[in-house]
Amino acid sequence: MQIRVEVFGDVTAVSLAGEVNSRTAGRVEEALLPLVTGGCKLLLDMCEVSYMSSAGLRMLLLLHREVENKAGQVVLVGLQEMIRDTMAITGFLDFFRDCKTVEEGLELLKAYEAH
Amino acid sequence: MKKRLCQLQPLTVPCKLEFLDALAVFVQQASKEADLDYRTSYRLRLAVDEIATNIILHGLSDSLQPSTLTVYAELDDQYLTIHLEDTGSGYNPAEAIPPDKIRGPEQGQKVGGWGIYLAMWGVDEFEYVRMHARNLSKFRVRRPSCGEHRESDS
Repeated sequence: MQIRVEVFGDVTAVSLAGEVNSRTAGRVEEALLPLVTGGCKLLLDMCEVSYMSSAGLRMLLLLHREVENKAGQVVLVGLQEMIRDTMAITGFLDFFRDCKTVEEGLELLKAYEAH
Repeated sequence: MKKRLCQLQPLTVPCKLEFLDALAVFVQQASKEADLDYRTSYRLRLAVDEIATNIILHGLSDSLQPSTLTVYAELDDQYLTIHLEDTGSGYNPAEAIPPDKIRGPEQGQKVGGWGIYLAMWGVDEFEYVRMHARNLSKFRVRRPSCGEHRESDS
């Protein structure tokens, strides 16, 4: 699992590459949760995540709660088809905004500011 | 129905998380031999991964005997069946949770519980038996060549 963090203005973009499973989800969680601060804008780029088990769902749940608690925003980018299916069948997709590209994700986060 | 073991040799690994990748490779190779499409193969791998993870994290016996996981595959004209055997304590995943109560990350919901749900979603049939102090889990998926393909290849 590779985790890369970049900053685009007021957006923190985290790119994941590899598999999010019971062996790697803890590391992702440790990297992500400290980035969630008051009113944060977080973009989670999952274009290069090829597999996600329920350990990844658990990680996303914790992220969602933390972002909600801190009145922040999170957008998921580039979910692969089967990961999207997994999130849809468990109801997770209803709780996250997702889009196909980083550019779209940045636009979504910017649009939120305008509201 | 004529059955045969997959060409793959059965694999036995210690009951530890770091050996789950080896199980995944086994399932992927069996899926390839069975000509499964990507979606079916992904779901099957997910199902085996979830149940094996559950066994490792929650199903180990108190015995001093080191627990192991053994996986082997069986093919017939219609199905690929993955057999997963472990020496942990008795636990039937199919009775663990009612799947219809699992809906997303609402506040206050307990963390977790999706693994077994995903495992059941991932296969056409799941069967569990406890026999000779072993747990036997069977994951069965329909092969595409039988004409009743569950979903189109992507």
